[in-house]
Amino acid sequence: MAKDPILQVETTCGSLLYELQVIIWDEVGETETDRDKMLLELERECLEVYRRKVDQANRCRAQLRQAIADAEAELAAICSAMGERPVHNTRQSDQSLGSLKQELGTILPELEEMQKRKTERRNQFLFVLEEIENITNDIKGQGELVLPKPPIDETDLSLRKLEELHCHLQALEKEKSDRVETIRKHLCTLYSHCSVLGMDFNEVVSQVNPTLTDPEGPRSLSDHTIDTLDAAVQKLREVKIQRMQKLQDLATTMLELWNLMDTPIEEQQEYQHITCNIAASEHEITQANSLSQDFIKYVEAEVVRLGEVKASKMKELVMKKRSELEEICRKTHMLPVSDSAMDQTIVAIESGIVDATLVLEHLEQHISKVKEEALSRKEILEKVEKWLSACDEESWLEEYNRDDNRYNAGRGAHLTLKRAEKARNLVNKLPVMVEALASKTIVWEQEKGIEFLYDGIRLLSMLEEYNLLRQEREEEHRRQRDHKKLQGQLIAEQEALYGSKPSPSKPLGGKKAPRMSTGGAATSRRLSLGAGMHQTPKPNKKADQRQAEGALSTGRRGLDVAGLPSRKQSMDPCEQLQSPLTRKPFSPISTTVVASKANIATPQQLVPSSKSNAVNEISSFATPVKNNNIIKNLEEEKIMMMMQTPKNVAAMIPIPSTPATISVPMQTAPTPLNNNNNARFLPEKAEVIEYSFEERRLAFMLQSESPIHV
Amino acid sequence: MSQPPPSAGRELANPPSDGISNLRFSNTSDHLLVSSWDKRVRLYDVSTNSLKGEFLHGGAVLDCCFHDDSSGFSVGSDNKVRRIVFNVGKEDVLGMHEKPVRCVEYSYAAGQVITGSWDKTVKCWDPRGASGPERTQVGTYLQPERVYSLSLVGNRLVVATAGRHVNIYDLRNMSQPEQRRESSLKYQTRCVRSYPNGTGYALSSVEGRVAMEFFDLSEAAQAKNYGTFATGGCDGFVNIWDGNNKKRLYQYSKYPSSIAALSFSRDGQLLAVASSYTFEEGEKSHEPEAIFVRNVNEIEVKPKPKAYPNPAA
Repeated sequence: MAKDPILQVETTCGSLLYELQVIIWDEVGETETDRDKMLLELERECLEVYRRKVDQANRCRAQLRQAIADAEAELAAICSAMGERPVHNTRQSDQSLGSLKQELGTILPELEEMQKRKTERRNQFLFVLEEIENITNDIKGQGELVLPKPPIDETDLSLRKLEELHCHLQALEKEKSDRVETIRKHLCTLYSHCSVLGMDFNEVVSQVNPTLTDPEGPRSLSDHTIDTLDAAVQKLREVKIQRMQKLQDLATTMLELWNLMDTPIEEQQEYQHITCNIAASEHEITQANSLSQDFIKYVEAEVVRLGEVKASKMKELVMKKRSELEEICRKTHMLPVSDSAMDQTIVAIESGIVDATLVLEHLEQHISKVKEEALSRKEILEKVEKWLSACDEESWLEEYNRDDNRYNAGRGAHLTLKRAEKARNLVNKLPVMVEALASKTIVWEQEKGIEFLYDGIRLLSMLEEYNLLRQEREEEHRRQRDHKKLQGQLIAEQEALYGSKPSPSKPLGGKKAPRMSTGGAATSRRLSLGAGMHQTPKPNKKADQRQAEGALSTGRRGLDVAGLPSRKQSMDPCEQLQSPLTRKPFSPISTTVVASKANIATPQQLVPSSKSNAVNEISSFATPVKNNNIIKNLEEEKIMMMMQTPKNVAAMIPIPSTPATISVPMQTAPTPLNNNNNARFLPEKAEVIEYSFEERRLAFMLQSESPIHV
Repeated sequence: MSQPPPSAGRELANPPSDGISNLRFSNTSDHLLVSSWDKRVRLYDVSTNSLKGEFLHGGAVLDCCFHDDSSGFSVGSDNKVRRIVFNVGKEDVLGMHEKPVRCVEYSYAAGQVITGSWDKTVKCWDPRGASGPERTQVGTYLQPERVYSLSLVGNRLVVATAGRHVNIYDLRNMSQPEQRRESSLKYQTRCVRSYPNGTGYALSSVEGRVAMEFFDLSEAAQAKNYGTFATGGCDGFVNIWDGNNKKRLYQYSKYPSSIAALSFSRDGQLLAVASSYTFEEGEKSHEPEAIFVRNVNEIEVKPKPKAYPNPAA
């Protein structure tokens, strides 16, 4: 028999009770009351136990219910949070599926499921949110701002929300990448700018944000960074533009200077790469270091150098203009600008105080003014030149007329004759010339209202002075002529007195007056003593030769005389009118007879002969001239004479001795006019250049051979 | 036109057509070398009175001299110094001056040609020098003035210039003159000739005087031994002088024109006289040029003691 547990229990209890009641108590003999009490207690205890158990069971049941409710609630919560319907909607229907335990049994797995899902979902959220956080942090900046992790909104774990978050994440990702890109671009630009500007890229970047320097590591993407970076880029761009403009200005200046100074193309080549960018815009300049400080300095230096070259050229130009000005003034005989003023200006230019261009302008103006004035002076200046050269010819003519040897056919005599003729013509025209010039000058002065200056002197004064001189000179000439006439008269008187003819009046055979000047050191200026002996060194060929050695020697030796050629002899061969002051060579002073020793008859015959022409020539002979022994020579000469063969002494030989008295007054040569008033006259020269016969002959020969006649 | 008397000497045929600047007898024969303003140098054989050779130069020939019987030297206004070779008729230029060359001498002692020029230099030339003027010139010596005359004797060279300067050189040392003098004559120096005995030189001036000078300046050497010499002047006369006795020994009859040059032959028997206008009065009409060669009689040139008059000849 299977005992029903409860039955079992009941049996047990019964038995127990039996035991108790019947056995025990009886044995014990409990009272009824006690028995009742114990039975009541027993019942009570048993009730208690029942009650406890029932309570427990109740409680279980309640727990279950609660659990189910909880589970259901949780499920609902989860579902609502997740926005999903639960798998099973057990709560909706009243229909219980079974017992509580069964119910629970079904709910729990659902719940578990949902919880799993929720967790999953939650994880997703977490993930996204973390991502978001990361990115946000990235965006906001490393170490700059760490935002607290935003809490998950547990109530909304819906897909929708997840979606939202995803979108947000994407957005953020995009933003981040945008920023990265921006930064990259900026960095590129920056790099380019730095390269162009010659700056250290890393340094610049690190100043913006240190994290940017490391291409691998995390970078700040913050607004600040980007802004700063942007600002840096902008700034560098500005700098670039600035420098570029400066460089372009320099290039422009360079081009101007090159243009101004015609710089050769080779020099320009070097800077071609700069000047080609002269109109470039900012973005076109990309070459490394093309705008670096150093480079700009380099270009600047070149511009400065060119500027200096220009300055010096300007200076040169100024000098050139200045000399141009001086030249014009000189040519037109105007007084030039004072030098000191110009020198100061030059100094000022050099020290940069004064701008050369201004000075140049000034000079140009001055030059054009001067040119104008020069033009107005031109006509008069031409006339002045003519007048001056006429004056030169006049003074040349004066001197020429004084030269005795001017008819010698020496070198260029042919030419000087022509020149003399021209000069005479010119001199005749001089007064008219001067008059015309003066009147023109006066007119000019009236028109211009200023004096006409020639090298600082008033032209009219010069002309006046000249006129005065001319008058003086003419007077002087007149005086001389008168004086000569007087002299002539005196000598003619003596002639009458002493019967000697101091000088022959006409030479034979159309001979000209003696012409050869004394040689070498013997100047022609010494006074002659003894009746104006005119010594010529030339041995005369024909009739006019005189043997006057004796007188000559004595006269000379004692008194160191040389003949003074007359300056006023006219050279017309026909005239032959010698000044009584001059003598033909070797003409006897007097023809007194030789003293005692003379055995020669012939000399006697000669005494009265005053016809110098009749005398044949006597050979000139040499005496030893070493000793200046007058007497000895005289003796010897006499002997020489004696020794002559009759053949040679066919004609009469006058043998002059020293005249006892020198009766002819001492002669003074007409001193040439002192014409040094007119500054144009050359100073008188004492020496005359000697020429040998051969030299003269050669000169003549060459002239006649040459087809050109002046 | 005056005819010279017969004693004037034999007139040479084919004289130059323009002024004669100089004539020289050869040292070895009776050949006469004549230089002329007609630009030619002529060689005459006096004994046969024939023209042996003629050289045409670029300008007036101002001087000439013999080297030996086959060649000589000539200088002139074309500034050139030439050697002329007679038989072959060829000439070559030894060198040049810068201006006309006035004188030329040949020094046997030094074996050199010496020229004086109006370019104020005296130049020495070696005629054996290789071709080309550069190689032949031995030296050039600046003078104070234009050279008018030169003379050689032994190792001495006397140079007379314009301005009456006289330089005396020793040919062995030309670096500077042995003596520098001034002519004692007051007028332009015309001609200088050394004494054959080498003790001094004669200097003549355009006045017509001749000064006798000695190289040795000591007293003892002076006033000794002038010897006899001939002078010719523009008066057309040739005079022979006794220097010691200071007398004129002889005067030849007047020649038609100025005496341009004189030359004694090697034995002194002949005197060549160039009668040719020397331009002392400039350009004028004149007698034609003529060369006379006369015998020199002893009586004409022998010194005579003093006080005896010359017997009329």
